[in-house]
Amino acid sequence: MTWAPVARRAGSPREKLRGALLVLPAAVLSLVVLGGGIGATALQAFGLLPVVGRPTPGVEAFTARPGELFAAVGVSLSVAAVSTVLAVVIGTLAAIVIVSRTRSSRAVAALGTLTVTIPHLIAAATVGLLLSDAGVLPRLLGIPPEAWAPWVGGPLWGAAIVELAWKESAFIALIVTGTLATRIQTYDETAALLGAGRAQRFRHVLLPLTAPTILIGAAISFVYALGSYEVLWLLGRTSPEPLPVLAVRLFQGVSLDSRPEAAAVALVTSVLALAAVALTFAALRRTAAWR
Amino acid sequence: MTPLRHRRRLAAITVAAASALFALAGCAAPAAPDTAEFADWDAVLSAAKGQTVQLWMYGGDDQGNAYIDDVLAPAVAEYGVTLERVPVTDTRDALNRVFTELQAGREDGSVDLVWVNGDNFRTGKEAGAWRCGWTGMLPSMANTSADDPLLQSDFGTPVDGCEAPWHKAQFTLAYNAEAIPDPPTTLAGVLDWADAHPGRFTYPAPPDFTGSVFVREALASVSGGADEVPTAFSQDAFDELTPALWSRLDTLAPNLWRGGDTYPANETELGQLFADRQVDMTMTYGPATLTGLVADGTYPAQTKVLTLEDGTVGNASFLGLPVNSDAAAGAMVVANVALSAEQQAKKAEPDVWGQFPVLDLNALSAEDRALFDALPVSPVVPPYDELSRNAHGELAAEWVPALDDGWRQNVLSR
Repeated sequence: MTWAPVARRAGSPREKLRGALLVLPAAVLSLVVLGGGIGATALQAFGLLPVVGRPTPGVEAFTARPGELFAAVGVSLSVAAVSTVLAVVIGTLAAIVIVSRTRSSRAVAALGTLTVTIPHLIAAATVGLLLSDAGVLPRLLGIPPEAWAPWVGGPLWGAAIVELAWKESAFIALIVTGTLATRIQTYDETAALLGAGRAQRFRHVLLPLTAPTILIGAAISFVYALGSYEVLWLLGRTSPEPLPVLAVRLFQGVSLDSRPEAAAVALVTSVLALAAVALTFAALRRTAAWR
Repeated sequence: MTPLRHRRRLAAITVAAASALFALAGCAAPAAPDTAEFADWDAVLSAAKGQTVQLWMYGGDDQGNAYIDDVLAPAVAEYGVTLERVPVTDTRDALNRVFTELQAGREDGSVDLVWVNGDNFRTGKEAGAWRCGWTGMLPSMANTSADDPLLQSDFGTPVDGCEAPWHKAQFTLAYNAEAIPDPPTTLAGVLDWADAHPGRFTYPAPPDFTGSVFVREALASVSGGADEVPTAFSQDAFDELTPALWSRLDTLAPNLWRGGDTYPANETELGQLFADRQVDMTMTYGPATLTGLVADGTYPAQTKVLTLEDGTVGNASFLGLPVNSDAAAGAMVVANVALSAEQQAKKAEPDVWGQFPVLDLNALSAEDRALFDALPVSPVVPPYDELSRNAHGELAAEWVPALDDGWRQNVLSR
């Protein structure tokens, strides 16, 4: 594996023991939290941990609502994909502006830093107030509620995508700036001295060197959007529901069977998120900078 | 790393994860309630001293929150009980907490009282999550009528002393008289009015409880009256009555706000649309809030309560005591104080909370009765007897999830 170890020689038994002991607290914590959380969810989803009665193993919880589950997977993946693409494009462009040391770079950097600190719930409420039918923006523009496009609760999930893209683009801008601010800049200057134009430098120098950072940022942002409840609940619509909203509704359902169904939806969400991370690492190994 | 060592590490991780799971899952048996824990009310009073009671209740009603913090909590403090309010967005959250604690085998549960009724009460009773047979000990129960049907059965589920009565509620529609000078007088009329005025009406999406009760009212209306819908749930009655309901709501949908493409998620969002003049009607189980919302200018000044000839559904809500509460005696004291004539009268004041009392007013002593006669009149909300004229009872709790699910399948995803 190419996890870029600090020392390429094998450590002495003592060093290994010390290493293992240092990692132990973190490993135990993640094992209890992840193993306990996902494990309890899996037990419930497969009918092994009922609220009342005997455990009845089976996959009924997964097959109980095929239509709703497929629709939820579709909505969640689409919203997460669109908002991630927007966030990557806007975030990368913002990062290039930030390191360009022009007059606007400070303003963009300040905006990005400020955006990262705003909690998603507040950001979602803000976007809702701004874009809803009788919101601040249509009022400022003098557009009556009937004529305003249905951003909040509309069929295209406009307001939810705007919120996720806005918040995540700031995150991506900051981590890409971090990469760009390293030695990459000297490569960029060298290419410029050799006569490469702006577009060429972006295409052949900046993009390949920042690709791993962008990929990782995109994966984090995608997985976040996939699991986000409050943004999609506040700004989304009644049907179809995204995975986390469906899971919470089922979890809160009064019928005792709906808890395993909620756990099944949560498990599907986790599997999708893990798959996205796995694909990212597969893609990461292929990037030039990683090799 | 050699394959063998890799495998050994994997085995170690599996064992560790599995033992963590067994630790979580191993103790999932609910504790049995100790019914004969207190000999008499004095024993409860002395056990309650120094206890802290956590009351879990819907936290979206500022007046309700203020009543608990400023009126009820000081009153129970005289008995040495500390009352803490835990706000939840939905009563199901409180019930889920109880279930989760029972699943984990906790006997010192953090939920001591829940403001509950209907399907949540039934689900909790099915799961054995409530302490039962304790309300008979409360001295204040003497002020209620023993044969009040709303207090005997909670959405068709026998109460059996598993919860202490707290308020009565009446489902109420309100309209903006400025926009609707000639309001409909029946629920069928409301639906026809909505058809005739596209985009000016909507209702919250079930399983939100306000949207859910609206669907039940529509069921009574299309079935030819509340008496035509049997209170007890049966699949036959459901199959016979609901096609007409789904077809009516389906025809209505294109004429709703946003063409029925999406619905407000709850009463608050519907209220927001009403406040923004995007719709001309709103609905609530707690008409008491209307007075304040009109007075502070949130709702149109011309907001009026729509009294329907066919009546609306009325119910009572209760305080439930989970079996695993670690402050059961304190919780009983709180339930008893909350049911006293002074607290019920104070709570009924529109400026305080405006909740309708559960007491039998005719049976009260002259002194207690005077407290209720002195209540001020709201300019927006008519008194309870007028509001509850022709009122009908709630359907059995089994109807609620069946109708909520049916609505999602037949009306929402058409």
